[in-house]
Amino acid sequence: MTAPRNLETVELTKRFGGVTALDGASIAFHDGKINAIIGPNGSGKTTYFNCVTGMIRADSGQTTYRGHDITRRPPHAIAAAGIGRTFQLCRVFPRMSALDNVLVAARPGGVATRLRGARGRAEVARAREWLAHMGMDHLEGVEAGNLSWGQQKLLELAGVLMSEPETILLDEPAGGVNPALIDRIAALVRELNAAGKTFIIVEHNMDLVMNLCEHIVVLDRGRPIAAGPPSVIRSDERVLGAYLG
Amino acid sequence: MRSVSKARVWLGLPVLLAGVGLVLSFPSLAPNPYLLSVGIVVLNYAVLSTAWNFMGGFTGYISLGHGALAGLGAYGTALLITKAGMPSFAALFAATAIVALLAIPLGFAALRVRGASFVIVSIALVLILLLVFQSWASLTGGSSGLVVPRPFPQLLRPEHHRVFYYLFAGLLALALLCWWLIDRSRFGLGLKAVREDEDKAESLGTPTFAYKLVIFTVSAAFTALGGGLYALWFGDLDPVFQFSILSGAYMVLMALLGGVRNLFGPVLGALIVGIGLEYFKVEYGNTPLHLVASGLLLAVVVMFMPDGVIPSVSNVFGRFFQPTRASIREVSAEQLREEARR
Ligand SMILES: Nc1ncnc2c1ncn2[C@@H]1O[C@H](COP(=O)(O)OP(=O)(O)O)[C@@H](O)[C@H]1O
Ligand SMILES: [Mg+2]
Repeated sequence: MTAPRNLETVELTKRFGGVTALDGASIAFHDGKINAIIGPNGSGKTTYFNCVTGMIRADSGQTTYRGHDITRRPPHAIAAAGIGRTFQLCRVFPRMSALDNVLVAARPGGVATRLRGARGRAEVARAREWLAHMGMDHLEGVEAGNLSWGQQKLLELAGVLMSEPETILLDEPAGGVNPALIDRIAALVRELNAAGKTFIIVEHNMDLVMNLCEHIVVLDRGRPIAAGPPSVIRSDERVLGAYLG
Repeated sequence: MRSVSKARVWLGLPVLLAGVGLVLSFPSLAPNPYLLSVGIVVLNYAVLSTAWNFMGGFTGYISLGHGALAGLGAYGTALLITKAGMPSFAALFAATAIVALLAIPLGFAALRVRGASFVIVSIALVLILLLVFQSWASLTGGSSGLVVPRPFPQLLRPEHHRVFYYLFAGLLALALLCWWLIDRSRFGLGLKAVREDEDKAESLGTPTFAYKLVIFTVSAAFTALGGGLYALWFGDLDPVFQFSILSGAYMVLMALLGGVRNLFGPVLGALIVGIGLEYFKVEYGNTPLHLVASGLLLAVVVMFMPDGVIPSVSNVFGRFFQPTRASIREVSAEQLREEARR
């Protein structure tokens, strides 16, 4: 592997009371690839996302992004560094319009630009582009809480993309979504990846993972037990063991 | 969509102009100084609840401690005049600046906690300040109160009221203008994102803590201005009234009643509550009956009109004007989650 390092954790550990959600997880992801994290329920995948994005503080261990230490940075600074994420139980701002949901994520410039109107022409144009990209341009005035589940998932993604991340973490993008929409999300990921974005995807849908992802990390009880391309992971005995019990 | 918002503007503009006209002509219409003073009290409430709404409306952080910030503005102004010999209005602005500076460490402590914990912390602030101002009698006059020299000693009482009426109206206009500007700004959108889902806002790159601290400082400054101007007008301060949880609770009630998402919500709430309180005072004297009525009103608002009267009323209008609102809703996320749980 000669690809430069993207997100990398060393000995990341997180305990919740007696539960060790992450147990010294040392994982490295490659720049420019579609990476995946798989593992049984409760193996620490979401906790891993929460720790690297600063949403919760790891008990110990270190996180670097493209060589810079981001271990103790607040989430907004990590977002500004170029890491965007979605949430397992899709999170949107329910009482804001779809358009505002996307506009919120516009990258702020200096202090003065924050006092400018939220609906600047350039920002609105870009937000509409992302909505149109999701096939949702006709829904821009609808409060996000009134959208269907699938539409909310797409809206969340549009918001994340508006924030211009270089690396995108998706927590179960196919969860609760119909097959047509899964295909659509997969196509979107491929397209964005071709445009240079790195992905790290937590997903239970094995067909999707095996078809879409180039590098897979298998997590079990808070530790990586295998990592490699789909062909290797598919035949790894430890992986089969972890999944079968 | 666009035609609806245009219709709103065309409906809203005459209402706004009529409101401004009414406010400006009230001193000439009021038949006696007593009614004029009621007008001042209502304007003071409107300033305070609008000031509260910078924090409560944008971020959803419910502070019951804003009464203490108004009290600090009032006592700060009074003390800078009596002890430091400053001119009245210089003292008012200096006190406001001091309260705004004080809001930074206060915010650092209080804004780390959310929801009910924040409410408790804000109550603690009032109780601590009440104790300080009551027991530090040499400086504050203690429970016997503090007399504030009038800024215009040559003016007779009705003229005094008239001048302060317009000063309060001007302050209210300034507060509303600031709220409106923030409401439409990117900063404001970030604050509203905090109200809806703070962690999500943070994950999209909004520096939520800094945003909360800034808006808390702005909110504190306007609250202190309202309190200080009250001190100059009323001329007599008592810590029991200045540092009471009740005065903070009234700000919350007025804002919630009118509607915290609406620029004029707190003003409308102040009008209703202010007139109501005055009515109870006249009809029933100094009984705790107004407390019972306020409590009931708060309960009704929270349970049946979570967005206040303005949205409820405009909903009725909205239904009247567009009876066939298209429904895009197939199945909501909430329903889906419900299904998934089963
Ligand atoms: N906020 C929390 N408080 C307590 N325990 C938690 C919390 N978040 C996760 N856990 C526990 O940590 C473990 C890993 O959870 P999670 O990271 O959500 O797993 P996954 O996403 O792989 O299904 C589970 O045992 C879960 O119960
Ligand atoms: Mg999970």
